Amino acid sequence: MSRPTLWSTADMDEDLADAVDVQLSMYAQQGQNPAIYDQLGTQIEQLEPLLAIQQHMAALAAVPDVVKSFVVSFHQAILNRDLPSITMFYTTTFPKLTDRFYSRTEWPEPEVIAPLLSSNEATEDHIHIFLVLYRDLYYRHVYSRLQPNIDDRFHSYENSCELFNYLLNSPSSADDESDEPAPVDLVLPEQWLWDIIDEFIYQFQVFCSWRSKVKSKTDDELMMLADGTGVWSSYSVLNVLYSLIQKSKINEYIVALKEEQGKEGARPAEEIAESISPYTALPLYRTLGYFSVLGLLRVHVLLGDFTLGLKVMDQVGEFLLGGSGFGAKTNKSSYTALPTLPATHISTHYYVGFCYMMLRRYPDALRTFVTVLNFFQRMQRMRSYSGYERKDQYDQIAKTADRTLALYAMCHSLVLPGSPFTRLDDNVTNTAKERYGEQMGRMSRGGSEALIAFEELFLYACPKFINANSPPYDDPEALASLLNVDSAETTEGSSPLPTDPTHRHLRLFLASAGAQSPLPTLRSFLHLYTSLTTEKLSSFLDLVKVDESDKVEGAEAEEEAIQEMMVLKQNSKSLSRVQGKADKGNDTIPAGVTARGSLLEGEMISTSDLNFVIDDNTIHIAESTIGRRYAGWFIKNTERSQRVLDEIRGSPLPRGKMGQKQGLPGTVATDSVAHAGLEVSAQKKAPTKTVAWGGAGTRATTDA
Amino acid sequence: MAASWISPPTRTELIENLVSGVDRYNPSNVGILEDYLYHQIRSQEYDCLANLAILKLYQFNPDLYNPDVVINILIKALGASPLPDFNLCISLLDERLSNATLDEPDPLPSLLPVLHGLHLLLYRCRFPAFWRAYRSDQLEGLRDNYTVECAGFEDSIREVVIRAVKSTFTRIGTERLSLYLDLDSPEELKVYIDKLGWTLNSEGTVVNIPPNPDNQIEAIVVQESIKLPQLTKVISQAAKP
Repeated sequence: MSRPTLWSTADMDEDLADAVDVQLSMYAQQGQNPAIYDQLGTQIEQLEPLLAIQQHMAALAAVPDVVKSFVVSFHQAILNRDLPSITMFYTTTFPKLTDRFYSRTEWPEPEVIAPLLSSNEATEDHIHIFLVLYRDLYYRHVYSRLQPNIDDRFHSYENSCELFNYLLNSPSSADDESDEPAPVDLVLPEQWLWDIIDEFIYQFQVFCSWRSKVKSKTDDELMMLADGTGVWSSYSVLNVLYSLIQKSKINEYIVALKEEQGKEGARPAEEIAESISPYTALPLYRTLGYFSVLGLLRVHVLLGDFTLGLKVMDQVGEFLLGGSGFGAKTNKSSYTALPTLPATHISTHYYVGFCYMMLRRYPDALRTFVTVLNFFQRMQRMRSYSGYERKDQYDQIAKTADRTLALYAMCHSLVLPGSPFTRLDDNVTNTAKERYGEQMGRMSRGGSEALIAFEELFLYACPKFINANSPPYDDPEALASLLNVDSAETTEGSSPLPTDPTHRHLRLFLASAGAQSPLPTLRSFLHLYTSLTTEKLSSFLDLVKVDESDKVEGAEAEEEAIQEMMVLKQNSKSLSRVQGKADKGNDTIPAGVTARGSLLEGEMISTSDLNFVIDDNTIHIAESTIGRRYAGWFIKNTERSQRVLDEIRGSPLPRGKMGQKQGLPGTVATDSVAHAGLEVSAQKKAPTKTVAWGGAGTRATTDA
Repeated sequence: MAASWISPPTRTELIENLVSGVDRYNPSNVGILEDYLYHQIRSQEYDCLANLAILKLYQFNPDLYNPDVVINILIKALGASPLPDFNLCISLLDERLSNATLDEPDPLPSLLPVLHGLHLLLYRCRFPAFWRAYRSDQLEGLRDNYTVECAGFEDSIREVVIRAVKSTFTRIGTERLSLYLDLDSPEELKVYIDKLGWTLNSEGTVVNIPPNPDNQIEAIVVQESIKLPQLTKVISQAAKP
């Protein structure tokens, strides 16, 4: 087996070491102008070091001074472990310089800027890790702004491996003899750490979809793919994430946090972390470990494993979905020991909700989506959230939120109309109706129209699924036959290729959604009666059938109606994390209420407001109705009038009129005097009072 | 409900460790999980997550792929309807697997649509149609090679039927029920419903289904309940001097 295995770090080391070797030789080949290299062939290889150095020096001379000084100060900041400066360079300066100098080209190659980094303090190790981090930025820029070629794809993988290898397997500096790995003394902002993990998975996903397109490959690419079967393999990606989780012992840390929570004299989070392992003690590893759990969720979803995706969240999920995430700070002080970034929050809820949707647990999916969509709406209201003034990052978050909204719209239709879960949050529902109103209309009507709408939204909103394995690039015969089969199929004009994982998931989803498509009609009939015979129901259903050929007579139609009733019954129940009764329809904020424990756990609950039972040939129907709600209205208005009253108390009296009417110019000099004046005038001069009330009242209503 | 699905009481510690730990990715453990699957088949147990772990190993290691195992997993998953187990299994069946490594032609591609169809019939509660399809001549291969080995397969399907019927009906005609359960003779049906604790009426034409939470209906008016946190602002205002 050539694949690196997951259960042994020794194997991984070997693999990573290989990767480094390959990388060195490849870098040697990568020059400013590959065409020249090809022509010169083998000759060049002997001259290469010299040539490369000359080229690098020329390239360095061309680098703008401001970029050079940026690199130097950036390096210095990382060397000094100066977190505020690193954060500023990372979130502000780098994007600004990118816009100014490198919006269409690569940043200078790491080899080019390397000479800038030598200084007295910086050891070789320091320079090395800075170059690795720099390369991380370099490749991310290539992926986001330019078109990565196969070299970029391979090298970004090798660089990621090198970075993770450095973090996980650096020997302890104090005691070189032991060869035991020790934590690395590096400080990076949370946002950067999230970006590292996020980008690692993104590049993996992009590589996999690029790899699965067999036809459009050049000979060079085919050759490199045949040789590099281990590059971006699913095993290696999982290996990295699991290693980070295990090294940081993040799950143990969270369990310990939970145990401490609510106890008298709970230890502070830092102390708990230190007691677990030297890695856990460092925020860098904790953060990376935590993000790796979230990354693992994403990788599992991309590979189509929705149960495993939720299972890895066993420890983390309760924290994340308990409503104590970013923007909803609660008094659970120890939980805030975990990092909360808007991007993390939104992406994770998106994937968790999607898993629930594929597990047909629509109530849970809806709750998850509502939590995060509310969060996003709050975030939108904050004009420039620090760190997110960058448009591209904000756009990405907004895109995910929009896809979440589409998923919400789908689940909203799938819990069937009239379900209490369609009323989880009217605000979000209205937003969804504004954005996807047309599709929601079609989905809730049922029938084939609905399926088309479901398909549209699914393809727009689903994650970018990938195949776990490469096409057989290392086996030319198999590859050729695959190509032939592909072309044969396309010429026959058959359905999309079965190799496409997105369509495989789409078909499964549509089969489930399709089974539900007659239900809205059925429900609308039941709605009208408290009891009716199955015979009568089947005659109604017969009427609405458009297609003559669908029509069936008598007993058969009745039988079909009864079977459809069983489908309706089974779809009015669902597994849900929330304990049944307390939340059945009467809870206005179930989004924040979650059961403890694994995300996979749950109870069967009823999701419908319409219940029925068949007594031989008679259907009895009972509906639960919602009593009128007063509380919200009263609370809102009580609070509003309180605000009005506060405002009146806090504001001075109108100055001009006061002065004129009382004829005492001296009294308006200060606010306190004006207040004193108010009491006097309120008693004595009725007209002044009404003016003051009217003014404040108008302002309050416009505020609302 | 979900707890026994996440971790069935019949699961051994060895399997539990494989399913929950990182060892689930180790290809050399596939044998243990496959043996466990065949144990499930013989003894009418069912463990969805363990079976998904097998499919996960196949997904990452195409050379381990064994079509018979996959088909057996899917057959077991049929009995779990209306839970989404069958779909979860299909989700993990990656791209077309090349059958060059197999000695015999791969039976999965031809059986997959068949199993899909059967699953959809069950999910849509088309029980008579399910039995018709299952007993048809085209499916002789599936019956003779696979489901016959799977102990209690037909009973596991009957349990799917029972779950649906139990929650929908208070009384059901014997004729209809025998069609759903594929039990033609009144004697067989009698034995089966006796086992469930269901009773026949005096004429023997209608089966009474004992009350359970799902077939008890009641019109409820849901009243709002106001939680203390909603009133925090109002109360805190009142507390101000």
